[in-house]
Amino acid sequence: MASKNGIDRRDEDEVCPVCKSSRYLNPNMRFLINPECYHKMCESCVDRIFSSGPSSCPVAGCRKTLRKARFRAQTFEDIGVEREVDIRRRVMHILNRREEEFDSKRAYDDFLEQREEMIANLVHRTDVAKTEAQLQKYASVNIQSIRANQAIEEQEASSFAARMTQEQEEARLRRQAAREQLENERREMQAGREDMISRLAAGSSADAAAIAREGHKVLLKKSSARRSEEDRIRQKQAALRGSETKRGGSSLTTADTAGPSDGGLIKGLRRIKTPEPEKPYDPFMGYVPEKRDYYALQPSYPSTYLDRVKNDTRTAAGGYDLQEYYSRTLVEAFAGLGCFIGEEVAQREAATSGLGLKPAATTSAAMAAGDES
Amino acid sequence: MAASPFASRSPSVAVASPNTLRLRATAAQDSAGGVLASKSVSNTDQELTEQLNDDVRHKYIKDKKLGEGTYAVVFLGHLRDDPSSFVAIKKVKVNAEYKDGLTMDAIREVKYLQELSHPNIIALHDVFSSKDQNLSLVLEFLPRGDLEMLIKDGDIQYGVADVKAWMGMLARGVWFCHENFVLHRDIKPNNLLIASDGEVKLADFGLARSFADPYLNMTHQVITRWYRPPELLYGARQYSGAVDVWSMGMVFAELLLRVPFVAGNTDLDQLSKICEAFGTPTEENWPGVTQLPNYIPTDRTQLVPVQGRDFFLRQFPTAGPVGADLMMSMCALDPRKRHTALQVLRHNWWMIDPQPTRNEDLPRKSGAKKMGEDMGRRGGEIDDGPFKNAARQLDFGAKK
Repeated sequence: MASKNGIDRRDEDEVCPVCKSSRYLNPNMRFLINPECYHKMCESCVDRIFSSGPSSCPVAGCRKTLRKARFRAQTFEDIGVEREVDIRRRVMHILNRREEEFDSKRAYDDFLEQREEMIANLVHRTDVAKTEAQLQKYASVNIQSIRANQAIEEQEASSFAARMTQEQEEARLRRQAAREQLENERREMQAGREDMISRLAAGSSADAAAIAREGHKVLLKKSSARRSEEDRIRQKQAALRGSETKRGGSSLTTADTAGPSDGGLIKGLRRIKTPEPEKPYDPFMGYVPEKRDYYALQPSYPSTYLDRVKNDTRTAAGGYDLQEYYSRTLVEAFAGLGCFIGEEVAQREAATSGLGLKPAATTSAAMAAGDES
Repeated sequence: MAASPFASRSPSVAVASPNTLRLRATAAQDSAGGVLASKSVSNTDQELTEQLNDDVRHKYIKDKKLGEGTYAVVFLGHLRDDPSSFVAIKKVKVNAEYKDGLTMDAIREVKYLQELSHPNIIALHDVFSSKDQNLSLVLEFLPRGDLEMLIKDGDIQYGVADVKAWMGMLARGVWFCHENFVLHRDIKPNNLLIASDGEVKLADFGLARSFADPYLNMTHQVITRWYRPPELLYGARQYSGAVDVWSMGMVFAELLLRVPFVAGNTDLDQLSKICEAFGTPTEENWPGVTQLPNYIPTDRTQLVPVQGRDFFLRQFPTAGPVGADLMMSMCALDPRKRHTALQVLRHNWWMIDPQPTRNEDLPRKSGAKKMGEDMGRRGGEIDDGPFKNAARQLDFGAKK
């Protein structure tokens, strides 16, 4: 147990500041600290003093009330470092905004600086009350986004771990395959050579050279076939790896609950765009059908000129509709009323002054406008 | 519709707007102190037309040939000032048939496209004439093919929401034409081009004309046969926007079935297929049909009753009951009973689920270019240049 701590391994005669028992007497002695005051004491002292409930720290002058549950082994030898790491962990746990949540790199950097400042305040005990209040307020307001970001971090960590183990496994398999291959190759070579020798022993001396050449060729062929097979496997594995990483990457998304109510502590957070509700489909796409500003269309107009059409069944059977003639006549009669070319030209020139394809009518319309005025 | 449907936009048509030229001439005259004699006006006029035409022509740079039709060659071009602004330049061929003038198609296209400005209608930016007196139309460049390609491509899957989006765009374009009293008269998937943002645009106004004039006969030999309504097959000379709505209905059916719905080999075959599918026109269901010029009476024994809602529901199950109802209203035999484009847009089908797909999510054909489709050539490859056998040059303009 003591070896795990690492720090109290060196000095054999380390003494518990509370009960003064030394490692010499108690080789399994383990020191614990409580992040309330970071006073060090041995495990048996913790058991003795705090088993029956919270009590005050036995170190002279320290009147902090400690609980047994919060005692833990020390990680760093320097108690100052230990304390800073604890504070840092706590603050980072709360202020866990991610870079993609910010408008710009600058905003993110400002956030990092702000966080460091708060950590430094807590470490050096300046403005502790104010900083703590800020943290509390932020945590209570942004509980949701904090949770979401924590989940993402966990996911990232676990996927990273998974990737690491996967890579290790792959490397192991590769090594194993290489070993097997080497073995196979060796065995084949051996078999080939034996085969050749037996054939040489059986055959005449004339075709000895031919047999030797043939044997060499077979070996070459085998090795090239193996090489292409290896390539194929390697490509397959590479493709597999590619798809794996892609899948892993796409599953991560940022918390989308920042919103404007982040307690005002962090600036430059990206506004969350809530997608606009889709408008109902407009079959006319903004055009207004049957818009008549200056007239009303009557069902029929008396005209002797049109009487013949009116009574012609053949015309009607073809689908001809006199209503359309009325409508067209009226549209053409009133066309142009309420059109102010001067205004339109000014608008169009303003709109198209920087654009590529401008309606080519500008010149002619301008001319017409000039003529009119 | 606004009271001034034609005032919305008017591209400068250098060769076809004597009004403008006269104004320019007058302006020039005034600035010169009004000392020009009336005799020299015509001279100035001449020069000014040429100058104006040159101004327009030099605004664009022709890049490469995209495709060739029977009456025009289409080039990819861009603005001289801005290489990223693509346009399609349609150069009308000098036709042997019309030695003394332009083809009707070109005149119609210029005449009607310059009046129509709508997101679902191809935009005409400019018109100019080239050195050899050929007319060039500067049109919006629509790089993502047409609806026919999407229908025919078996690799592309689309659903009823996509069909709704496309039909909505088509119906808006047609409605806008009709609202401005222009008949398109050649609506088919092949003429519905797709812009880079997925918007479907009505193109090819070579058969368009204005309508609603009484006593003015129109030809019945319009609209590609499979999309031609029965009244045109019966030879009606007076008709209305209902002909375009029938074509729309056929496009709707083709989008759902992915094959042309009634595809006849001849005009007569087409008519009999329509009768088989939708019912035989009679005096009862289409008053006055017997008086149409090319009406062919059918045997009493072979009469097919007019199909009801059940037929459409059975035939187009994917459209759902409301979609089938819309289809039925667009395919009514009697043009007077057929919905107008306005009524089509007011149909309940647009409001019910599924909502039309957003443009950016619509299925697209990868890397296809309709305007250069018939060239069958990869981008940046030019084989009819003077340096035919030289190493191919890198064409950075082709890849945006």
